[in-house]
Amino acid sequence: MTKTEASPPSVVERPYDDVRVIDLTHHLGAYATRLFADLGAEVIRVEPPAGRADRGAPAVPGLGGDVPFVFLNANKRSVGLDLTGAAGRGVLADLVATAQIVVLEAEERALLPLVLSVPGARVVTVVSHFGLDGPYADYAGSDLVTQSLGGITWMSGLPGQPPLRIAGGQAGFVTSLYTAAATALALYDVEVNGGGSHVIDVSAQECIAHSLQNALQVWDLERRISIRGGEGTRDATEQVLACADGYIFLACGLPLPMSWKALVAWFQEEGHPGGKRLAEPDWADRVKRTTRAMRDEFRAMFESFAAKRTKAELRAEALKRRIILAPVSSISDLPHDPQLIFRRYFHDLPHPAAGRGLRFPGAPYRLSEPVWRIDRPAPLPGEDTDLVLRAAPRAAAAGGGAR
Amino acid sequence: MKAHYLKGIRFADFTWAGAGSFSTKIFADYGAEVIKIESTTRVDPVRAGGPFKDGIAGLNRSGYFASRNTGKRSIALNLKSEEAREAVRELIRKSDVVSNNFGPGAMDRLGFGYEAVRAIKPDIIYLSMPMYGEDGPLSGMLGLGMTISAVTGLMSLTGYHDGPPLGPGTHYPDHAANPYHAAFAVIAALRHRRRTGRGMKIDLAQVESTINIVGPAVVEQALTGQEPVRTGNRSPHHAPHNVFRCKGEDRWCAVAVLTDAQWRALADVIGAAGLAGDPGLATAAGRLARVDEVEAAVARWMADRDAEAAMAALQRAGVPAGVVADPQTLMERDPQLRHRGYWQHLDHPELGVATYTSPPYRLDGERVELERPPLIGEHTDAVLGGILGYDAARIAALRKSGAIEA
Repeated sequence: MTKTEASPPSVVERPYDDVRVIDLTHHLGAYATRLFADLGAEVIRVEPPAGRADRGAPAVPGLGGDVPFVFLNANKRSVGLDLTGAAGRGVLADLVATAQIVVLEAEERALLPLVLSVPGARVVTVVSHFGLDGPYADYAGSDLVTQSLGGITWMSGLPGQPPLRIAGGQAGFVTSLYTAAATALALYDVEVNGGGSHVIDVSAQECIAHSLQNALQVWDLERRISIRGGEGTRDATEQVLACADGYIFLACGLPLPMSWKALVAWFQEEGHPGGKRLAEPDWADRVKRTTRAMRDEFRAMFESFAAKRTKAELRAEALKRRIILAPVSSISDLPHDPQLIFRRYFHDLPHPAAGRGLRFPGAPYRLSEPVWRIDRPAPLPGEDTDLVLRAAPRAAAAGGGAR
Repeated sequence: MKAHYLKGIRFADFTWAGAGSFSTKIFADYGAEVIKIESTTRVDPVRAGGPFKDGIAGLNRSGYFASRNTGKRSIALNLKSEEAREAVRELIRKSDVVSNNFGPGAMDRLGFGYEAVRAIKPDIIYLSMPMYGEDGPLSGMLGLGMTISAVTGLMSLTGYHDGPPLGPGTHYPDHAANPYHAAFAVIAALRHRRRTGRGMKIDLAQVESTINIVGPAVVEQALTGQEPVRTGNRSPHHAPHNVFRCKGEDRWCAVAVLTDAQWRALADVIGAAGLAGDPGLATAAGRLARVDEVEAAVARWMADRDAEAAMAALQRAGVPAGVVADPQTLMERDPQLRHRGYWQHLDHPELGVATYTSPPYRLDGERVELERPPLIGEHTDAVLGGILGYDAARIAALRKSGAIEA
C-alpha cells in the first residue's frame, strides 16, 4: 500500500481512496465516517433492507431520511442485508474481511462479536454514550442527557435560569470528531508500524468532558466552579448585545487592549456618553468588570449606541477599527455572508431521487491537493447492494442474505 | 499504555492559545515529537491566563496551558532575531509538519509562509487555522471562539426556547470542532504523503470548519426556507425533554423521553397515574401539545429529589436521564468516569500533581498515557543541540544575544 517514490500530480489519488469502512453508526458516529468518505474512503452503511433506524422519517419524499441523516451520510454507500439471518451475517463478515475500518455504534452491539471474529488487521471502533463498561454502560443516553452528564450543559445559559445544552446535536459532532481522529491514528499504526488490530471504545460522555475549555482545571487548581452566563469570570463587554436588526457579539476586555481602546475611542468620536463613562477608573478594574452590575451597565450603554446601527454597519466599523465584534448570524444569513460568498463556501449537491439540489456546507478544511469532495447524496436503503457485492468477490460468493 | 504510533514524526509547532494547541496535542500524546516554538516576550495567552496552581500566576503554572500541551517540547526564541529564524528554518528542514493558528499574513511576516516553508522542505504538511480564511473581505476580522460561534449560526441556534440567542457559554468551537477537524486533516495528509510523496497545505478557516457542526441546520434552512427555531433543552419531536431543578443549590437533572414506552415508564416512576392513563398523552404529538403540563408533572416529582437518585430511578426504568454535572461533580463524584480510569494525574515541577482528562476512549482496553506539559523553553538546549547539532558555545552566544529567550 505504501509507495516509496513520489508519483506525478494526479487528482485521482485521495488520502483514503484505498480504504473501505464498514459503517454501523447511528447519531454519535455518523459524522466520523463521513469525514473519511469526503477524503475518498468507500464508506458502506450495512443496514436492514428497509434502512437503519438512524435514518428517521424522510424530510421530503425521496430523501431516504431526515435532515441530520442526509447531512451525516453524504458520500456513503448503502448495502441492504437481513442481519437477523445467518446468510446476511455471513455477507457482513465477508464485507468486514475487505475493510480496514469498522465503526459500530452501541445500538448494533450484538454484531460486535461477529465483527471481531473476522481475521485480518483492522481498526474496530465502538461508539457509545458512556463506554462499554462501568456503572452507566447500560444507561440510556441522548444528546441532552449526554451533554449534561459530560458537563457541558452546565456551562451555558443564564444565571437564575436552567443550564442549557448547545444546539444542533453537538454530542454527536463532538463524539464523531474524536472518533475520526482516534480511528485514523489507529489505522496509521496498523499500516505503518504493523501494529496489528485495534479496538477503540469511545465514550461520548468522555468526549464532552474533554471539551470543557478550562473549567476542569479551574476546579482542580483553584477550587472554583465556573458559573453559566460568565458572571464573575467573563468581562462585561463579552456579551450578546442587541442592535438595529438583530444581535452582535462583542469582546473588549482589558486583556484585549487594542479592542478595548478602539471601542472607547469610537464612543468618544460619536459623542456617546459611554465614551466618558468608560474612561472612568472602575472600568480599569478587571475584577469589577466581571460583576453583574457592570455587565448590565455596559449592555444598556452599548445597546443605546447600537440601536440605530445594523449588524453589517457595526461589523464594517469593527473591521476598520480592529474591534472584536461579530454579527450573530442566523442560519438564513449564512448564504449572504460576504466572506463565505467570496470563498465560494457552500456546495449545491444534486439529489436526483428527491428531484432537487441540497445546500451543503463546504469543506471544513481547504487542502492544496484536490482531494476533498462531496459528490454523492446520502444513499437510499440498499442503493449500492449489487455494486458493492459484485465488487467483493468473496462476499458475492457467500450471497444468500443480500437483498 | 504509551501509544507511540507516531514515533519519528516531528512538528515545528507555532500554535498557541486554545484551538491551535489542542490540534497538535493529540500528536504529542501519540508519540510524535511536537516542538512548540514559544516566546517569553510574546507569551502564549493561555500560559498568561489562568487558572493557575493555587491561584498564583506564573508562566509554568497555568492549568489551561497544561491541558492543551501534554507531551510537547518547548523552545523559547525571539523570532525577531535573524539567528532565531535561521534555527527555526533548520528545524523545519527536519520536520514533517508546520502548524500555526495565527491570523492571515503573520507567518509570512515571520518568513514562514507556506511557499517559504515549502522552499525549505518540499513535502511539508502545513497547517494554518485563521478565523475566516486567509483571503477575502472579512479575512482581517479579529476573533475568538465566541466570535466564531456568532458568525456560524451556532450562537443564534443556542438559547432557551422562549428567549434570545445566547450561544455556548464557552469558546466552544475552540475545544472540539476546530482542533479535531485540524488533527484529522493532518493525519490524512500524513497518509497522503506516504502514498504519493507529496505534502500539502491545510487551510482551515475556523468559521468554515465550525459551520459543518451546524450542517444539518444549513441543509434544513435551504430545504424549507425557514430559519430553524431555537429549542433550548426542549425538542420539536419529543416531550418531556428538558432539565429539571432538583434538591440542593443549583442542582438539575436532564430527562429526554424519546419513545412512548419511555413516557409510560416515566409516568410510572413519578407516580403520575392520571397522566399515564390519559390517551391524549400517549403519543409524542399529544405530549408536545401539552408540554407545559407534562413538564410540570416531572418538575414536581424532581423538586425534592437528589439529582443522582432521580437519574438512577429513571434509568432503572429505561428512561434517558442524567444529572447536569458541574466540574466538581464530574471530577469527584461521577462513578462512570472514575470506573473507566478517565482521570490521569501527572506530576510537574511547578503545577505539582494535577488532574488531566484522558483521550476520551479506551484503546485496546487501556488508556493512552499522557506525559506532562513542558516548562517554557525547557527543551531549547536539547532541540538546538540534539536536533540541529549546535554546540554549547553557539547556544550560549544565542542566549547572550537574546535570540534564545529561555
